[in-house]
Amino acid sequence: MYAYLVRRMLQFGVVLVLGSIAVWAFVYALPGDPATVLAGPDASDAELAATRDRLGLDRSVVEQYLSWLGSALTGDLGTSYYAARTVTETLADHIPATVQLAVAAMGIALLIAVPVGTVVALKPHSIAARALQGYLTAGLAIPAFWLGLLLIIAFAVQLNALPAASDYVPFWEDPGQALRHTILPALGIAVHASTVIARFLSTSLSEVRGRDYIRTARAKGVPERDVVRHHAMRNAALPTITIVGIQLGAFLGGTVVIEAVFNYPGLGRLLYTSIGERDYAVVQGGVLFVVATFLCLNLLVDVVYAYLDPRIRLA
Amino acid sequence: MSAAHTRESDRRTASEPGAGRAEAVLSIRDLVVEFTTPAGTVRAVDSVGYNVGRAETLGVVGETGSGKSVTVLSALGLLRAPNLRKVTGQVLLDGESLLDLPDRELRRRLGRDVAMIFQDPISALNPVQRVGHQIAEGIRVHDPGVSAKAARARVVELLGKVGVPHPEARFDQYPHQFSGGMCQRAVIAMAIANRPKVLIADEPTTALDVSVQAQILELLRVAADETGAATVLITHDLGVVAETADRVCVMYAGRVVETAGVEQIFAQPRHPYTASLLNSLPRLDMPAGRLTPIPGQPPDLVDAAPGCAFAPRCPIGRDRAVCHERRPELLPADLAGPDGQASPGSGPASFSACHFPAEAAGLVGAGDSGSPGRPAVTDGASSATADDASHETTDDAPHEATEDASDRPVLRITEVVKRFPVRSGVFARPSAWVHAVDGVSLRIRPGQTLGLVGESGCGKSTLARLLLRLHEASSGEIVVDGDDVGRAGKAELRRIRRRVQMVFQDPYASLNPRLTVGDNVAEPLRLDGGFSRAARRRRVLELFGRVGLRPEHADRFPSEFSGGQRQRVAIARALALEPRLLILDEPVSALDVSVQAQVLNLLDDLQRESGMAYLFVSHDLSVVRQVADEVAVMYLGTVVESGPVERVYADPRHPYTRALLASVPVPDPAGRDRRRRTPLGGDVPSPSDPPSGCRFRTRCPLAEQRCADEEPPLRPTAGGRTACHFAEDTHHLRQPAVRP
Repeated sequence: MYAYLVRRMLQFGVVLVLGSIAVWAFVYALPGDPATVLAGPDASDAELAATRDRLGLDRSVVEQYLSWLGSALTGDLGTSYYAARTVTETLADHIPATVQLAVAAMGIALLIAVPVGTVVALKPHSIAARALQGYLTAGLAIPAFWLGLLLIIAFAVQLNALPAASDYVPFWEDPGQALRHTILPALGIAVHASTVIARFLSTSLSEVRGRDYIRTARAKGVPERDVVRHHAMRNAALPTITIVGIQLGAFLGGTVVIEAVFNYPGLGRLLYTSIGERDYAVVQGGVLFVVATFLCLNLLVDVVYAYLDPRIRLA
Repeated sequence: MSAAHTRESDRRTASEPGAGRAEAVLSIRDLVVEFTTPAGTVRAVDSVGYNVGRAETLGVVGETGSGKSVTVLSALGLLRAPNLRKVTGQVLLDGESLLDLPDRELRRRLGRDVAMIFQDPISALNPVQRVGHQIAEGIRVHDPGVSAKAARARVVELLGKVGVPHPEARFDQYPHQFSGGMCQRAVIAMAIANRPKVLIADEPTTALDVSVQAQILELLRVAADETGAATVLITHDLGVVAETADRVCVMYAGRVVETAGVEQIFAQPRHPYTASLLNSLPRLDMPAGRLTPIPGQPPDLVDAAPGCAFAPRCPIGRDRAVCHERRPELLPADLAGPDGQASPGSGPASFSACHFPAEAAGLVGAGDSGSPGRPAVTDGASSATADDASHETTDDAPHEATEDASDRPVLRITEVVKRFPVRSGVFARPSAWVHAVDGVSLRIRPGQTLGLVGESGCGKSTLARLLLRLHEASSGEIVVDGDDVGRAGKAELRRIRRRVQMVFQDPYASLNPRLTVGDNVAEPLRLDGGFSRAARRRRVLELFGRVGLRPEHADRFPSEFSGGQRQRVAIARALALEPRLLILDEPVSALDVSVQAQVLNLLDDLQRESGMAYLFVSHDLSVVRQVADEVAVMYLGTVVESGPVERVYADPRHPYTRALLASVPVPDPAGRDRRRRTPLGGDVPSPSDPPSGCRFRTRCPLAEQRCADEEPPLRPTAGGRTACHFAEDTHHLRQPAVRP
């Protein structure tokens, strides 16, 4: 198993390097001098010179990349010219908000997906399952921004119960306020994810229920509830975990649209505004963070997989 | 259920064997199981009834789709198909009606009073749970008072009892760390954990190798003896039944067609289906003659015709009106016995669902009257004249053990080696090599069949694939018809492959489902390029005629065909370019016995017409003996014994060959107690780390120090070749029950 994990980590490293090259190269691919791109449209000559100097544009491409990577690894991702702060600081302001939103959204998605997927798989012909099938189809089809708008109209405008524009309130400072501000955007993105996860879960659960070892468990006299809990669920969870990891990665990568709709100060909105303002240093840093997060989650999924499946763990 | 119906079923079951006897522990009465399919309602089980008494073993035999498994699964409420339409009838476990119990109450009896053992032991265990915990769960679910510690101790004891070595360590392992045989032992431990009253084994050895099968059957017998359980053994293998059952119940098309004591069934079957099944079986204890297959296929169970389901295939029916009009009931058939010595009360009774049970008994040993000249498989007790006749037919092919230089072989392989890397570690470097094929030399002459036998993992299929370079050989020389396969360039390889065709095991997977069977057969012709569309069509129809398919079937799709017909299509495709050599990789192991005989006979006819050579790869020793002229026995990548088929089967010199032959269940219950089996112990060692010297030494009763030090060469012995240091001294080892 350790060889497996070490191998995954090495792959992780390789992909991260390739990703970082892509992120680094993109400012060079934009029209104009990378220094003008990074320093921003209104930069003074002195600022431009400083940026040029920092980028070392007179050195070889490899050297430029390595020096950029070196500073990135030590936390120096350049300076946001609008905010006049370092990119690292800017990201640090927005990442916790996105993490909180992502965790809340995944929590809601799982709270919906696990029971829905289970009912659809176990009682496919029941009225409940038919109704839930409708939810699965609708939830998949409704765009998040539209759902977000509907939620704002319902809860903020009509009921006036929740804020229309969400602020980031750290959960540990004020859980009540945090929930009030997070729940609508979280729900906005959770619905779609919940349908994807529920579909995966119900497909693999109904497949697993037809396996021989489920019949063995029944023949042993295990009550049906325990057959599902002890034998079916764990096996069905395996393929589902992959999709949960991918969805969570997408959440953490910034849910640009929903954050824009709710004006939520997360990574997504930061990237969105930064692109609009051509604040490419921030975009570069943000994308690098997203790539790294995604890869970390993949690695985490592999670890969980190995933990749950002895065929991988003991291979 | 109507009152009239109830009365009728009562009358019938009252007359059935075991009914009324106090010791009937499991009694199935009038069970009907129906499924809804797009084609209509399928009655998979039709008024099936049988009883099993305490300490009795009932063998339930039947081919695919006969309803033998569906009967028990539905009886225990384990059938979960969404299209299950209804289950009616009665299932009495110790007098208690199981079908009337609510699910929770039923579960309380499952695993405690009645336990099941399934076909594929590896998939019968949960892959993510420790084996020990899975067994313990079966104990604790019925007795929550048992502590985890006590359950563990009990499971370890059970594992030891069923012959799992190092039970303490094995408890904590997962199913993928167990071999197939070990998994089945674990499943048996699970089944006997609560000392059930009834043990139901559904094809318990079908997925296992023959040497492991012998171990498991022995274990089942011991388990049944020790628990005193009534055993239902469901199988398609008449040999397994003959070795283990006290009474036999033969099923066909969802009905019981015959039940009788095991000796009676094999010596004097009272139903033509039973007799035909026995006649279509290649067997080691009989002279190898031409088989008598059952013509046609099992019927479609959708809207079954009113008459006897077997009538269209019946050798004695002669289109009599009664067979097509009235469904025969299962009635006592003892009185109709030719010996006139019906003895109700003493010994198990015989029941047959045939209008003419007396005629059926005459079928055994008499051959199929519809095909004159075919020597029949004979009853062990009958005269020897038929044996002699059939002996001659197998002997008319010349067999020289010596190599004849003038007769250029179609295939010559010399010291062929194939190693697969086992990759591990961070960089997936090959850390070990699986020696799948390790220095094999063989040759096949035109018109001859070489049978390649061995257990799973011995390398026989890998070897077959090397011949077409579907895998690249690691070293050695493969020469087909004078051309070196290993050195051939792309174009030459194509030419070689045209002359060597392959038929695979699974006829369901080996045909393209999106092409009509005609197009499937035409594909080699299309690839060859030399045929116009019309010429291809002509050739396809001609090939269809040769393999016994109707020309109008050419435009249908593979899904419309049964397994046996699909295998005919696959054979037709292989024949399309008139190959010189046909590689048959387990061509009949996915087929039922009656259909298997049809395909074996077809192969025999084709070879006689065309002079093709066959490489026939199989795990089934009886089938190989039926078709082969020469045999090579493989063990862990090497040939341990080879030679003419009579020599290898009648005078096996290698301890492995002897053990294999002795492990094959003999479809003749007479004298089974004298055939004391001490089956081959243990499992095949890992081919990535084969034992030093002789690879068989770890399981060999003769092994000495010399066997570990020196690898025995394949040397000429008694007209064949044997790779054993003690080939001259193996006579005292158990004598296989092969009759030359």
